[in-house]
Amino acid sequence: MSKIISLKIGLASCGVAAGGEAVLAELKKWTQLPVTEVGCIGHCYAEPLVEACLDDGSSVMYGNVKPTEACVKNILALGEEGRFVIPAARRAKELVKVLALAGHISPVVLKEYTDHEGYAGLRKALSMKPEEVIDEVKLSGLRGRGGGGFPTGNKWSFLAAKPGFDKTVICNADEGDPGAFMDRSLMESVPHQVLEGMLIAAYATGASRLIIYCRAEYPMAIKHLKIAIGQIYEEKLNVLNGRAVEISIKEGAGAFVCGEETALIASLEGQRGMPRFRPPFPTDRGYQDKPTMINNVETFGNVPLILREGGAKFAEVGSAGGRGTKLFALAGDLKYPGLVEVPMGTTLREIVFEIGGAAPDRVKAVQTGGPSGGCIPVELFDTPVDYDSLRSLGAIMGSGGMIVIGQDRCMVETARYFLDFTHRESCGKCTFCRIGTTRMFEILERIVAGKGTEADLDTLEDLGKKVKAGSLCGLGQTAPNPVLATLRYYRNEYLEHVREHKCRAMQCSAMVDLTLDRDKCVKCRLCIRSCPVGAISADFVIDPAVCTRCNSCLDSCPKHAIRRIATGEKK
Amino acid sequence: MKSEFDFLKAIPPEPGNLIKGLQLLQATEDYISDEGIRAAAEYFNRPEADVEGVVSFYAQFKRVKPGKYRISVCDGTACHLKGAVQVHEWLYQDLKLKPGETSADGMFSLETVACLGCCSLAPVMSVNGKVFGKLERKTMMKILKEFAEK
Amino acid sequence: MSIEFLIDGKAVTAEPGQTVMDAAKAHGIHIPGLCGEPRISKTTSCFVCVVRDKKTGKFLPSCSARPAPGQEIEVNHPDVLAMRRTALNLLLSEHNGDCEAPCTLACPAHAAVEEYVRAAAHGDFAKALGIIKERIPLPMTIGRVCPRFCEKQCRRNVDGEPVAINEFKRLSADMCYDSYMEELPPASGKRAAIVGGGPAGLSAAYYLRRLGIESTIFEMMPKAGGMTRYGIPEYRMPKALLDRELAHWDKIGVKFEYNRKLGETLTLDELRRAFDAVIVAVGCWQASGMRCEGEELAVSGIGFLRNVIENDCRADNPGRVLVVGGGNTAMDCVRTSVRLGASEVTCIYRRSEAEMPAEKLEIREAREEGVKFQFLTAPVKLERRDGQLVLTCQKMVLGEPDASGRRKPVPEPGSDFEIAADTVIAAIGQKTIPPSDIPVTRHGTVAVGTDGVTVAGNIYAAGDCVSGAATVVEAVASGRRAALAAARDLLGQPMPEEVPVNVTRGKWQDLSRDELVVLRSDLSEAPRQKLSYLPLAERKTTFKEVCATMTPEQIAAEGRRCIECSCSDKHDCKLRKFAAEAGCKVDAYPGVKQPPVYDVRHPEIIQDRGKCIKCGVCVKICKEVVNRSLLSLQKRGFKSCVSTAFGTAFPDSCRECGECINACPTGALDWRKKR
Repeated sequence: MSKIISLKIGLASCGVAAGGEAVLAELKKWTQLPVTEVGCIGHCYAEPLVEACLDDGSSVMYGNVKPTEACVKNILALGEEGRFVIPAARRAKELVKVLALAGHISPVVLKEYTDHEGYAGLRKALSMKPEEVIDEVKLSGLRGRGGGGFPTGNKWSFLAAKPGFDKTVICNADEGDPGAFMDRSLMESVPHQVLEGMLIAAYATGASRLIIYCRAEYPMAIKHLKIAIGQIYEEKLNVLNGRAVEISIKEGAGAFVCGEETALIASLEGQRGMPRFRPPFPTDRGYQDKPTMINNVETFGNVPLILREGGAKFAEVGSAGGRGTKLFALAGDLKYPGLVEVPMGTTLREIVFEIGGAAPDRVKAVQTGGPSGGCIPVELFDTPVDYDSLRSLGAIMGSGGMIVIGQDRCMVETARYFLDFTHRESCGKCTFCRIGTTRMFEILERIVAGKGTEADLDTLEDLGKKVKAGSLCGLGQTAPNPVLATLRYYRNEYLEHVREHKCRAMQCSAMVDLTLDRDKCVKCRLCIRSCPVGAISADFVIDPAVCTRCNSCLDSCPKHAIRRIATGEKK
Repeated sequence: MKSEFDFLKAIPPEPGNLIKGLQLLQATEDYISDEGIRAAAEYFNRPEADVEGVVSFYAQFKRVKPGKYRISVCDGTACHLKGAVQVHEWLYQDLKLKPGETSADGMFSLETVACLGCCSLAPVMSVNGKVFGKLERKTMMKILKEFAEK
Repeated sequence: MSIEFLIDGKAVTAEPGQTVMDAAKAHGIHIPGLCGEPRISKTTSCFVCVVRDKKTGKFLPSCSARPAPGQEIEVNHPDVLAMRRTALNLLLSEHNGDCEAPCTLACPAHAAVEEYVRAAAHGDFAKALGIIKERIPLPMTIGRVCPRFCEKQCRRNVDGEPVAINEFKRLSADMCYDSYMEELPPASGKRAAIVGGGPAGLSAAYYLRRLGIESTIFEMMPKAGGMTRYGIPEYRMPKALLDRELAHWDKIGVKFEYNRKLGETLTLDELRRAFDAVIVAVGCWQASGMRCEGEELAVSGIGFLRNVIENDCRADNPGRVLVVGGGNTAMDCVRTSVRLGASEVTCIYRRSEAEMPAEKLEIREAREEGVKFQFLTAPVKLERRDGQLVLTCQKMVLGEPDASGRRKPVPEPGSDFEIAADTVIAAIGQKTIPPSDIPVTRHGTVAVGTDGVTVAGNIYAAGDCVSGAATVVEAVASGRRAALAAARDLLGQPMPEEVPVNVTRGKWQDLSRDELVVLRSDLSEAPRQKLSYLPLAERKTTFKEVCATMTPEQIAAEGRRCIECSCSDKHDCKLRKFAAEAGCKVDAYPGVKQPPVYDVRHPEIIQDRGKCIKCGVCVKICKEVVNRSLLSLQKRGFKSCVSTAFGTAFPDSCRECGECINACPTGALDWRKKR
């Protein structure tokens, strides 16, 4: 029988949030075996995850590990209970390339990275001429993973064309989309992979300054990157054929708009993160007025692969609408939320149902691209996921957040939620974005409150198009997408709200009452006790005039006797 | 610059380092006071109005002294769908706290944050940076009680 | 090397470095923009200057975009204009301020109240009169008889009495009327005929002349003035003063033909042939009856008043008088009756006092003079019995509100009772007798087009014959519009909007004292100045004017009570100007406005954040030109604002250079002292 020689525990932010640290403490109580703290393998739903590495080179994984003696001893005894196996459907569809090392090596030990071909890409690059490196990136067909999808090789060549070395390459790690965590995971789990990509970019473009602009909400990513940068300096990996480059991390301070190039640069310069009109483009005048190029974390994470396996090989994966693989952060109403990596061109159906394990009859739509994207209804799930296909549907790839929206979600409320986010994140510069998104948000608030009119829908559409056309930066140019997409695919839901004051999803509380089914009720009085406003009488009648529709009773009822019904509907 | 802000000298006094300085200021003082703004303006050679403009632009910077334990409730997409509103409701019922407020005893302050990046564990909150996922009313209140008794 | 490109199909060139807007300006093409300033770096904020690249379909801010060779830029395409209008509408939607003061908006003639109040309060009565005459050609009359729409909307009503606005007109006119003379343009040769010499006709003639059109007024009565002469009693409007006022029409060369009545001694056709335009302003001279049995035994209100006036306030003692009706004419009748020595005067009105259309002041003064009121009482039958009149009345109760919003009186069954009298006056209302050949509405008034005055071709109508019986100020406003319409058609002068684009903070009824924006530093909290009345005994027995004109000292004190609600920048505001150009609607996007935060701590400079468009021009001017950096943009998104550090008053380092004020496109930053 095989023997455990070491253990690994996932301690990226998600693992920590799931209680991984307590599990680690418990493990250390019961074993002297080496325990490696690794990053995230992407199966967040099963965190905390522990991997037992065996002497025969194989390993056994355990999911949802509890910090208890029994649970830990079961692992150490290689018990059958709690074993975690990657679902077969997901294994079949996934193509793990960028994430290959994530969750398998220690993020803070350089040797573990170099043992797995780490920095082979950089070595390869340094053996080539810079322009050859750029040609290789062009050949790979890699497009920016941050949302825009601009061909990466072209961007590099713009910067390379600028004379001298007083140039900056910036890694945009200000992952601001609520619902996206690909970049965090990469930085936490394989920081060297991102930095290697940046060093290759610095060599290819002749930049001598590398800056990672990372959101401050990612302390572990920043910590791991700092450790990795220290190791790079120690090993002089930052000396590119004799030319030393400087690497630094700057923490963002919480502004979604700083994902926008010119706003990001303003923020790096210690200013308010407000975008400016382009041209001049950053490659002409960027950070400290010097030529600057910005790529996102995942883009850099792809670069070492391209150099290692060659651009042509890289381009074999994917579709015409995008080459290589793409990471998606799957969340929402599905069974297996987490981080997935699939070839470009995989269909939504495959991602949501096969990989995500969502129940086909329970899914209404998927939102790609976070608050800048749009929803795509389940009827269109055969769409291949790539930059161009998604844009043609009124959504965007964005950075890769993918939220599955269940049948019981109200699309108007969903649009309102996204606008709530974007209108508050507007920097306030452009009239259309600053006031336009606010007015759109107010209209949506009116509609979910049952006070909307059909004319409001026309205003939303008209204003939405104008906000897109009349804003300087990506934030305003995409903020109306969730509204326009839901209006396009779910206009009937909007119409029900404004004409009949009905929310079919029973989500908009202004149009909903709570009712108690006496046949199911066991008179346990939990609902009466849980009600914060005393709306439930001693004989279990819910007074709609008092009830705030907070759902406390509904959640507390052990018999599911309380449900939401349309206002005025027969109980 | 008042000597109590000498810690800023750990950062080179270039105007572009202002945000870094403010982050250090906030990490040291828990929030950014008027005095802190004056010190940063002087040290980084930036007009006071400018510094205040930068501070007020970024969500990270707080101008009000926070509680001993800072509760951040995630209202990212996944958490919103999974009941972030409910989490706020519980906090209001049990601690009488609304976003942006600090409890009367100075123990807890509450804010809403865009996304903590732990969407698959929604709904999520963090207390002084420590993240707690899959929140339910009972577990959440237990967590907060433990903090209060620390 | 200059760049050649197209603007709306026209070939233009731009020098290197020039923006699309620069190049357009150099070629005389107007592109509005709010946030540009040549001396500072680009703000690219307002998007009012938006243009479109025809090939890509992309909208560009022309203040920042540089043209590319061969680029086709669209400036005035309907889609571009729609974008521009939306940008302005959005800016207006959050704008929190008052372009015009509520008094000016409430005035049917939209007189510049704040300005004439300020001028008169400073003792410059000639200037005040000049401002008044821009909109009110009969200030001596209106200064006495106006029901004061303006005062009803004065924001001082919030916690006290309104500014005595009308008294400013009265004093200014009394002081300077005879020496007042405006500069008139040369006569254009176009001539207009005006039928009716009442306030509407007089106003039309006056403004026509100011627009270069001479006119002749055809008046059916032996003297001009219309109802101001034949309807308003001497004690309210001394006829000697009216004569003084009307002398001005002679001065400006208006011709009068008296005793010419349309349909009798005059036809529309002959006027049409002889003149370039005809303005019909025949008023409402037909009294309505009581609509009950025996109504012919009553005299009409206007007939009664006219008889007294035509006989120089001498008439028989009417004995016991019953006046039926609750309007201002009814008040004129009861008070005239008192002065004629009536032994008992009673006003009968079918609703309650609250619904009476008469001015509250008139009702109060009538009561002081001994008039009795019987409310909720309606006439049923009038008969002559035993040498006296007997009016049978019935009691009413108030039911549901009717179309006018007032509660409709409903008879109480079996409540009939009788009142004996010597004279019964029916002051129910008046109608117009429209000239034949003129279209009428179903209410019997003259039908006009959407501009409110054009009947057809070069025929216009104004005053009571269009509106039904109304006030003098409404008549002069209508007459002025008719003049403007005629000038538009005869001389091709554009007809201005009454109030171009107007943002308002709302009516005082919806505001609290704390919500008032007081920018002046010397606002007086003194109560309203009291009018000086004749002793009651004299009031009841003579037709002398009831109260005296306020003194210059009183007016000066009263002027300090004016909050000066209107925007200091209303004439220069670029937002307002471009919004008017673009045909904007201030309520296109209802929603939350900016908080009405204003700062008057600095003695010279005011900051009114509700009017800020967040363009940041002031911030950049202070930083890049003045080199002070006292201002910054703070917060973000909809909540962003411009502020000094820590929200303090402008610090001592401010040298009051005014650069920020000059650069501000709106009234968000301005000098405190109004010009």
